[in-house]
Amino acid sequence: MDARLKDDKFPLPRYAGLAVKNLGRRPIRTVLTVVGIGLAVAVAVSLGGFTLGYRGAIDRSIEMLGFQVMIMAKGCPYEAATMMLKGGTGLLYLPSDIHQKVKDDPALESITPIFVGVAQKEAGGIRDEGGEKTFTVLNGIDVPSFLKMKPWLKFQTGPGYDGAKWFPQGKGEGIVLGYEIAQYEQRKVGDSFYATITPYGKTEPLRKEFKVMGVLERTGTQDDGTVFLPIEEAQGIFARPGQLTILGLKLKAFNALSMREFEAKWLKLPEVQVVSLQQVKTTLVSLVATAQTMIAAVAVIAVIVALIGVINTILMSVYERTGEIGILKALGARRGDIFQLVWLETLFLCLAGSLAGSLGAWVGAGLVEAAIQSLVNLGVSGSIVRITPGVLGWTIAGSTALGFFAGLYPAWRASSMRPVEAIREGGA
Amino acid sequence: MGTNILEAKGLKRYYRRGSETVKALDGVDFTLGEGEMVAVLGPSGSGKTTLMNLLSCLDAPTEGSLRLEGKETSGLSEDGLVEVRRGKLGFVFQQFLLLPTLTVRENVELPLVFLGKRPSPERTSEVLAQVGLTERAGHLPRELSGGQMQRVAIARALMAEPKVLVADEPTGNLDKAAGESVFSLFKELSRKGLAVLVTTHNQVLGYQADRVVTLEDGKIIKEERP
Repeated sequence: MDARLKDDKFPLPRYAGLAVKNLGRRPIRTVLTVVGIGLAVAVAVSLGGFTLGYRGAIDRSIEMLGFQVMIMAKGCPYEAATMMLKGGTGLLYLPSDIHQKVKDDPALESITPIFVGVAQKEAGGIRDEGGEKTFTVLNGIDVPSFLKMKPWLKFQTGPGYDGAKWFPQGKGEGIVLGYEIAQYEQRKVGDSFYATITPYGKTEPLRKEFKVMGVLERTGTQDDGTVFLPIEEAQGIFARPGQLTILGLKLKAFNALSMREFEAKWLKLPEVQVVSLQQVKTTLVSLVATAQTMIAAVAVIAVIVALIGVINTILMSVYERTGEIGILKALGARRGDIFQLVWLETLFLCLAGSLAGSLGAWVGAGLVEAAIQSLVNLGVSGSIVRITPGVLGWTIAGSTALGFFAGLYPAWRASSMRPVEAIREGGA
Repeated sequence: MGTNILEAKGLKRYYRRGSETVKALDGVDFTLGEGEMVAVLGPSGSGKTTLMNLLSCLDAPTEGSLRLEGKETSGLSEDGLVEVRRGKLGFVFQQFLLLPTLTVRENVELPLVFLGKRPSPERTSEVLAQVGLTERAGHLPRELSGGQMQRVAIARALMAEPKVLVADEPTGNLDKAAGESVFSLFKELSRKGLAVLVTTHNQVLGYQADRVVTLEDGKIIKEERP
């Protein structure tokens, strides 16, 4: 052979170039196949991001509650937990003496009583958007013990927010607004805030005017949508003096053993339940896991359908090129050469599809999040879809690995063609 | 003519078609010397393509012996035949079978990919000049005429400097002028030492070869030196 033709020790780029050019032969078919893979991968990435993000959101939300254990009236622990995390109705109340009984438990590091009431929101002539959530969660709190649990709560500063302070213990009709509710209602320090409350045992609602004493900085939690007021006042306006919704607790040692001991001690009281936020997390995760399993099944089906599409595309391409494969074999291509060429085409299709799908999922994560949030109340605040480099990397690697297997059959078919028959059939 | 590159003795190729045995080639003796151009003529179904497939190691005979450069090839597996063909045999077919997404230059350099060689621009230019397509190097096959496409196929076959050029009905899809031009090129190549084996239905073109072999019913019925 001509001495000018040097050995090619690394021919892969030349095979890759041929594979890419072959895919460009039927651009519409190639693009449709890539879109199919991309959609399946986007679903898989979104699901992975949702799984990761939702667990993270639960962790964050629970962490930002500030306490590890709740004592509450008997009822559904999931409902109770979501009420604390996201707000809700149908509240149950603890007897008035529970706080006194529990607060001296030596296992406790700190304790805070909370009274939750639900009020009708009033726009007060500033803003009224029909169809939006029409109730407001009013949290009656004991400021010193509450801030011990949530030391990160800070007031917003700047024009309209300066001079903020927590309301004095037990008196006045001052309130502190979470960031979001203040934004939504367009309230600043010194403004009035109106709410319609139906006190316990009454049928006629009562319109209350409160004075905004401070607006909190954003926390990314349920606190952003909450109205805080003194616990005694909240109990008073809802006509439930001394009653509590929740006792938030921090234990000195928080582990499975101490939790069991604490639970055993206080579950003896007939009207309360002790709920660890770890249990709440497990409950929430297991509830959503069912939905996630169903979505995962759909994602798997989408991926399988996309892979069948890939196999179909490559097989069609192989059959269309029967004559060419024949001539390549006649010119000296071995089985392995043809196999490699066709296999690379499949890998490139899957790689392009998974990159496109990952990019689409990453760009569209906000839309997916909005869609999930609008369809289901997941009981957590903050971002629930978190697409990390890890999620992207695993999905791209996974779909490319599937492409690796999807390419085996078409590559084997192509490499098994006998040149004489391939040339005859391809030329027919 | 020089020494024989191809030597076939008693070549047979039988096919099964249901319960019937078709004798596509039935005991053919054949030789091809260095720099010799041999045309194989015969009506459709006479066994021309079968003979070409066997002589070019694309197919294995049912019986008989075939030596390429003195080495016995009969009895080799398909993979074994590939190794025999690599770099020794060049192919041209009626359908051109160019890769439509590759330029003329890339099509011509294609065999090198599978032979593990890097293309040399000088070598490619020489081969393209040999077939008169220097100006068309950057064009895609769809931008060429039928005659030009067949010349690209010839250049592709020549790229690896084969000992034998096998052309099965190379003028079947060409007009008269293009067909004559292709045969002139074959004659020129054979004058330079390349053994050329060509089948054709066109007797006028076929009789331009050094030797003409006529097949009928799988047997050589006539051998002439025009």
